[in-house]
Amino acid sequence: MGEHMENKEIKINKEEGIDSENNKPIYLQLREIVRNKIEEGEYMPGTAIPSENKLAETFGINRLTVRNAVEALVNEGILQRVQGKGVFVVGDKYEEVLEEHGGFVSSPSLKNKRVSIKELDKTLRYAGDKYSNFFDIAQDALIFDIRHLNYLNDTPLSLEQIFVPEDVLPQLKEVNSSVFSMMDIFTFYGIEVCSMRQTLELVTEGLSKTRKMLGVPDDVALIMLECSYRDRDGRVIEFSRSFIRSDKSSFCISLHEK
Amino acid sequence: MEEYQVQAGNEAIEKIENFIAVNRLTANTRIPSERDLCEMWGVSRTTLRNAVDTLVEYGLLYRVLGSGVYVAEPKLVRNLVGVTSLNDEIRQKGIHMSTKIVHAGVTEVTKQISRKLRIPLGRKVYEYVRVRAVGYKSCILETLYLECQAFPDFDKHYTERGSMDYLYRNIYHRKQTSGEEHISVTYVSEEEAALLEIRQGDPVFFTSGVVLDEAEKPMYYYKSLFRADQFKFVSVIDKKL
Repeated sequence: MGEHMENKEIKINKEEGIDSENNKPIYLQLREIVRNKIEEGEYMPGTAIPSENKLAETFGINRLTVRNAVEALVNEGILQRVQGKGVFVVGDKYEEVLEEHGGFVSSPSLKNKRVSIKELDKTLRYAGDKYSNFFDIAQDALIFDIRHLNYLNDTPLSLEQIFVPEDVLPQLKEVNSSVFSMMDIFTFYGIEVCSMRQTLELVTEGLSKTRKMLGVPDDVALIMLECSYRDRDGRVIEFSRSFIRSDKSSFCISLHEK
Repeated sequence: MEEYQVQAGNEAIEKIENFIAVNRLTANTRIPSERDLCEMWGVSRTTLRNAVDTLVEYGLLYRVLGSGVYVAEPKLVRNLVGVTSLNDEIRQKGIHMSTKIVHAGVTEVTKQISRKLRIPLGRKVYEYVRVRAVGYKSCILETLYLECQAFPDFDKHYTERGSMDYLYRNIYHRKQTSGEEHISVTYVSEEEAALLEIRQGDPVFFTSGVVLDEAEKPMYYYKSLFRADQFKFVSVIDKKL
């Protein structure tokens, strides 16, 4: 990090005066240094990064700090600890393109990864209080309630629950939603999905049943992705909620000028 | 029609969610007692308690020991479409936003940054580390790189009270037009935790991206940490527009 140390600190323009004395070198975050070295290709997928002792020595920081930084990247899924062998760089994570989110099957950014869907159950149920309001249908109208366990290379990646009003797509009773994505199925039956709203949140505690199904440790956060889709007339035709392993996936989105 | 009956646990969750929506309960409002809700909906105490637990985990409710269950503050929205939307949107809602510069410096580009900004090695960049507070709560820790040569005297123009967006527009005549953002989850270090007023090791959203101008030339590269208890990310796409 010698190169960084030589760089001058510019003075901070604050109204109350100038100061740059007590700035901590935040940019020396070891977690980010390791991340950058992976991005630059210095630490290559499948190879081990230097030992904790070595890193502590190189960057002049204590081992506990090194351990925490490495642990963060292990929980992120970028590094993997191999008992007795060291800490290894994992290849690219599964990246979902939010804007084109059309379910897992048609996701374009798969490269050599294999995604598969297991339909856990599909039932018809009453809409009830919440979904009658949500879909603007009667309380005793029926909705499909489908649960998927999505796999990435045979490892569980996410647990997804999908709700579709029966009258929107009665064919769903017969159609297997684990072979085609819901977007494809809508297209098959001439339903145009015109708008969607997706929200990403983190769930950090609880959900022990979901965690167990996904085989995810307690210290790895789960991402909650909720999507609602509307047709040409603005009617809500699908709502889905997924719990996604944050150590196995990331998201990408294009930004535009407003 | 027994077969269409919703499972009791899920039904209780949905009833609570609907109760909040229909009665337009605002943040920090106490919901009726467990006993009252059980009576009203004819569900067992255990079922209701589990439902409340789930909604607490989703971040929709919170418990206050010895007092009851309250509606949680809604999370702030980071809209994932507009390039400059964050500040505008939050300010439009009348929420106070402020910035604290943690570090400002000039440094030579690393291989990674030279690639992101598409400039040769050896060039200098401004490096800013800033904490953004929303409503006086530290929420975002952002590290930003922009090339010195492309933004001469940026350090003289930029102050904590000022806006980078304003400088891009009015001093440098560059328009933030497009970009690509990557979102994942990371866990904060001791220093980051202190700046964001959370605990070390807490999960946060990690975003990074490059913002381009009209000529598709990179303007700046950023990495940000967003407090996950304060923010949710929203993307709305409307094909009819």
